[in-house]
Amino acid sequence: MGVARIGHVRLRVLDLEPAVHHYETVLGMTVTHRDEGGDVYLKAWDEWDKYSVILTEADRAGLDHVAYKVAADADLDEFRGRITSRGVDVTDLAAGALHGVGRALRFTLPAGQDMVLFADKEFVGTDVGFLNPEPWPEGVRGCAVKWLDHCLLMCELNPEAGVNTVDATSQFLQDALDFRLVEQVMAGPDHSVRAAAFLTVTSTPHDIALVGGPTSGFHHAGFFLESWEDVLRAADVLARHKVKVDVTPQRHGITRGYTTYFFDPSGNRNETFGGTGYYATPDRPVTTWTEDQLGPAIFYHTGEVLPSFVSVYT
Amino acid sequence: MSGRGSHVVTLAGTGATFACPGDQVVLKAALAAGQRAIPSGCHGGGCGVCRVRVLAGPYRVGRMSRAHVTEADEAAGFTLACKTFPEGALVVGLAPSRT
Repeated sequence: MGVARIGHVRLRVLDLEPAVHHYETVLGMTVTHRDEGGDVYLKAWDEWDKYSVILTEADRAGLDHVAYKVAADADLDEFRGRITSRGVDVTDLAAGALHGVGRALRFTLPAGQDMVLFADKEFVGTDVGFLNPEPWPEGVRGCAVKWLDHCLLMCELNPEAGVNTVDATSQFLQDALDFRLVEQVMAGPDHSVRAAAFLTVTSTPHDIALVGGPTSGFHHAGFFLESWEDVLRAADVLARHKVKVDVTPQRHGITRGYTTYFFDPSGNRNETFGGTGYYATPDRPVTTWTEDQLGPAIFYHTGEVLPSFVSVYT
Repeated sequence: MSGRGSHVVTLAGTGATFACPGDQVVLKAALAAGQRAIPSGCHGGGCGVCRVRVLAGPYRVGRMSRAHVTEADEAAGFTLACKTFPEGALVVGLAPSRT
């Protein structure tokens, strides 16, 4: 019983084919399906379900929804009750409403983004398979990301007006969906305002991140790489393809991850995220960062928060 | 002038100028000239931080998020500098997004 892991993001893009080129050639994902509505579905080489990214052309960039996979179909019934009992409306999606996915639940988080829960998605296998596999496949393009790792949602935060959707969304994910709080940033004079929250359902430091901002939105989708060397090589790939880079390779204090941030052609931020940081087991104490240490918490090497990092999102 | 030559872009307020080729977007030309007045964001028409208003001069635009430049905004000269190509001398003013 429970949420097992992140499943996919459906991203709105302004122009479809440049976006497909970016996720295929730069990130190194593979197109696995195009539907009659024009949406394009992609997976990374070490993912076994049919897709982790859906690209849909729209008149604005940003996140359409983020989906998490639950352990078993019956879990959807229990989560449906736990979500609605908290006053959140749930839309039932029939099997096939999302391509290759069984029945699913769609609802809106307190910060305003839509989340989907599903149990089954069409299995296609990884590029190396599960029988006597090689450790990695030959011929993967670009950054050769391994899998979609997490997403970061910007959440409206205005403490003076009593609005804190970081806290509300974090509490909802913890209470209704059994996400565990792993790290947090506490702001305000007595460190009483939760300005960021990093939550997990697995043993990685974050399966979802929530950061406060003037408006809610989509900050980034993070894609996993193993090592510093992989993250540095990925930055070379970005430069080679003249991708707009937001932050060159750095370490995060939060999660201890190795990072590079960049934008897809419609301005949706991507991250190549490396390292396992630590094991976020259920008994691990919550790590707290105070607002005055926000610089090294986010960018450990420079110790300074780039203005664009908190002001630029879709 | 066709879009092929280089055009002078003037920032309203400071009066600072920089050159922008017709095949280059205003934001990149500004950054290349060391002009930092226009905020630099995603460079993809998605985030809206480089929103400006063209006060004078001809230009063409690429696809921009309607969350930041509505059709009415576009008709009134609002645009995103990362998606705006000059087709003649331009005067632009900063116009931060409402969202």
